[in-house]
Amino acid sequence: MVPGRVRELSLYSLVKSLADNKQLLGMRYAEWCIAAPSLEADIAAAAMGLDDIGHSRVLYGSLRELGAPDGADQSSYANVPYLDKPWTDWGQFVAANSVLDSAFTLMIEALANGKVEVLRSRLKKMLQEERYHYLHGRSWMREVRAGKAIERAWRESLEWIGPEGADVDQLERDGQLAYGVRELGRRLEERVGSAAPPVDIDWKTWDPIRRRTQPGGIDKGTLDMLQGLAEKRYMPSA
Amino acid sequence: MAYSRVHANVREYDVFARKTRVEPLHQVGSVVAPDDDLAMAYARATYDEERWVEMMIVPRDAVISLWSPGESES
Repeated sequence: MVPGRVRELSLYSLVKSLADNKQLLGMRYAEWCIAAPSLEADIAAAAMGLDDIGHSRVLYGSLRELGAPDGADQSSYANVPYLDKPWTDWGQFVAANSVLDSAFTLMIEALANGKVEVLRSRLKKMLQEERYHYLHGRSWMREVRAGKAIERAWRESLEWIGPEGADVDQLERDGQLAYGVRELGRRLEERVGSAAPPVDIDWKTWDPIRRRTQPGGIDKGTLDMLQGLAEKRYMPSA
Repeated sequence: MAYSRVHANVREYDVFARKTRVEPLHQVGSVVAPDDDLAMAYARATYDEERWVEMMIVPRDAVISLWSPGESES
């Protein structure tokens, strides 16, 4: 069913939200580059952080060619609640790395295999790099008991993909996306290597621009960092 | 949330790579990981400073040594 609030959204809003999420995910990864359980995992966190920040730049760069913004507030982040605040536990990293990151990457895959030429040509390289993200996440998932974080990551991934019969399915029918909502969910289970836990999503509260049901947003510290305000504190006063 | 700080059971993997097709693979380093998935992720994250055209990893216990430095061939 198409929830009443969901009007027809363009590809622009979807790619903007994808870019916002990838940028924040990259930042959250980077926050763990000296805090992961082993030196190798520190290095992997830094490398994956750089990948995702780089991928967000390519996605932002493609927006220009996807038409005009349609209601998406350019100054606010259309990110999942999972990325609102820094993670406090390695289990949260692992759940985001295997489930959320894979959900975003499957959307990149759906765009790269759709009919929009600018996305077809620019997004394919990302998929090779992203392969190591889910290998990393999937392996750590075997080690870490992160049940709650994994359930939350699944819920927010499915919320982000959106309800059946709404924008994503419409974009799939138009050929702009290679996969619809069901196919994205099926591929996500396949990639993560386990079935989605049962989640009950209240689509009436779903925000189609930010692709989430919860209010809130990123913390002030992160926003300051993204806008370069945090670094200014270290600059000599003129 | 419980997790082990260092993995309980790990394998060592040697990492091989080359920059061009005409040169042979070189051993560029090694990684320690509990399984192939993580070993691949670590190898790629740790040794991606070059634009390799090929990279592969081999579990060290799969390597059969014929002789080592200081030992004679026969």
